Amino acid sequence: MKHCDTFTDDQLELLADKARQGKISRRKFTQLGAALLGSAALASRGMPALADDGQLVFVSWGGDAVDAYDDAYGKPFEEATGIRVRQDGSGPTEGSIQAQFESGSPTWDIVDADAFSAESLGKKGMIEAIDYDIVDKSKMRDGFGWEYSASSYFFSYIIAYDATKFGDNPPTSMVDFFDVEAFPGKRSMYKWGAGMWEALLMGDGVAQADLYPLDMERAHDKLKGFKEHVISFWGNGAESQTIMLNGEASMALIWSTRARLLEQDTDGDVKFIWQDGVISPGAMAVIKGNPGGAEAAMKFIASAQDPEKQLVMFDMLSQGPANPAADELIPEDERRFNPVAPGNFEQQIPLDVAWYEENYGKALDEYLAIVSA
Amino acid sequence: MPYLRPMILLAPLLMFLGLAYVLPFAGVIGWSVTLPEPGMQNYTAALTDPLILSVFWRTLRICAIVTVISVVMGYILSLLWVRGTPLVRTLTELCILIPFWISVLTRAFGWLALLSSRGILNGWLEGLGIIEDPLRLVRNEFGVVVGMVHFMIPFAVFPIASAMRSVDERTLMAARGMGASRTRIFWQVFVPMTAAGLMGAALLVFVFAIGFFITPAILGGGRSVMVAEMIYLRIFQSPDWGLAAAVSVILMVAISALLALLLKQLSPKGAK
Repeated sequence: MKHCDTFTDDQLELLADKARQGKISRRKFTQLGAALLGSAALASRGMPALADDGQLVFVSWGGDAVDAYDDAYGKPFEEATGIRVRQDGSGPTEGSIQAQFESGSPTWDIVDADAFSAESLGKKGMIEAIDYDIVDKSKMRDGFGWEYSASSYFFSYIIAYDATKFGDNPPTSMVDFFDVEAFPGKRSMYKWGAGMWEALLMGDGVAQADLYPLDMERAHDKLKGFKEHVISFWGNGAESQTIMLNGEASMALIWSTRARLLEQDTDGDVKFIWQDGVISPGAMAVIKGNPGGAEAAMKFIASAQDPEKQLVMFDMLSQGPANPAADELIPEDERRFNPVAPGNFEQQIPLDVAWYEENYGKALDEYLAIVSA
Repeated sequence: MPYLRPMILLAPLLMFLGLAYVLPFAGVIGWSVTLPEPGMQNYTAALTDPLILSVFWRTLRICAIVTVISVVMGYILSLLWVRGTPLVRTLTELCILIPFWISVLTRAFGWLALLSSRGILNGWLEGLGIIEDPLRLVRNEFGVVVGMVHFMIPFAVFPIASAMRSVDERTLMAARGMGASRTRIFWQVFVPMTAAGLMGAALLVFVFAIGFFITPAILGGGRSVMVAEMIYLRIFQSPDWGLAAAVSVILMVAISALLALLLKQLSPKGAK
């Protein structure tokens, strides 16, 4: 019995391989697979990871994003192509993507990942190169389309402050964030380092234009001197919101997506500024050997470049649109929440993806060592 | 042949352990000596890198503190639970079991609400004029210890209480009959007779505490990186699977050694 099962599995895998290579159609694969297993058995065991009749799995970071991605991109794509897009919110960290690839039969197709993660994994051969014949580079901001990932939205690391304390004299720059004499109270910063090194250096007087390559020693010296004022290094967005909501910190470096929610939830008791923010791109990438096929995945990415769809993401999650054509579609009174809107973009500095690809791991180690010491 | 039947009964369990635990762990050992290239460099790094060493020491320190506090409090609670009046017993039982059934996440957030600088406790103390500035009770190592102790106490209570229940009343009566004071009976008769339970509790709590992940992450304010969180970091956040695997293996070996040591102490042959 054992032997028999293994053999059937092997047959199925062979079929799956053929289907993946396009030698037999997906529909045929399903039929043959069902014949091999018997349909009852199929129902209980499931088929190997191969999208029947073409489906894609889009992996994001969970929470409200899952529904938003489904409404904005998933459902319209299914309507247009017949390819169903399943949402998975389990969080495509660099290591999880690597685990997917190394398993030999990934179940994920498209990931909502950091551009620098995608680049470094891409160079190890784990990510498909973006097919710029399908994905349109002209629908992206200059410099935000990479070899292994395409920018799909923007968010910023910005200063949120307690307006009940600093309403008359709000902070105006990163120097103010690190000035606890003029702006008393505790602070909160991001636990995983990104955007924080830039903030530390700007707080130490480095001009935006001179930030890269980052002077790690200087940034970490600044952190050592300042960390006693940091009540919490938040690890996820909800945590950063809580700390400002209950007044534990008077200022925090948080994601712009959360800053908007905070301002709305507190009726303006918590406000934010764009000055010296660090603009960070979110990107879509395709895992090599993805079950739904690279071409379908590229088409999905291209479909998500539609400014109208990106407007939905702005409405639901305050993601700054990757396609500059979407900026115009945002109602005038909401443009101040768009991290990449003209007027906001210029006050900030875009995160240097190449620097992070090269240095992030080591920099994070040192950062956490100081944070935890 | 007397061992055959138990072996047959044990077989499914052993097979399950083998498939679900030993086999994957062999894979982890494999990673630790092959990623990114064959060699022992991951172990050298894990045992010499000051960052990783500091995480090991912090983990050991926190676990030791948590173990001592949990076992002492567990002992006192067990006394009340086993030897108290019926009312005290019932109340103690509720106090032990109710937290035991509440999810670890809920409890961590509960402590946050209670102890944060704008939390209930600081609010009262400030309102009563006892303190001017809020006390830093969470988002630091203290908070981690509070949260972990709270989680661990039931695990300390169960082995201790069971040891206390098996104490032969007559030995206590005999001691009293020979004129020993209450304190002396407690320290020289009762405590030694429950020592095995104490050791078991300490072992259980310590081993459990070493792998703690969620509580330090929530109550530590992002600061107290313990070993489980560091392994997570090296697997998911900034991938270095070889190093993560080496740290896991070291942790596993250390815990096994500890278990072996204590099991030997607890075994009847080792008893004096």
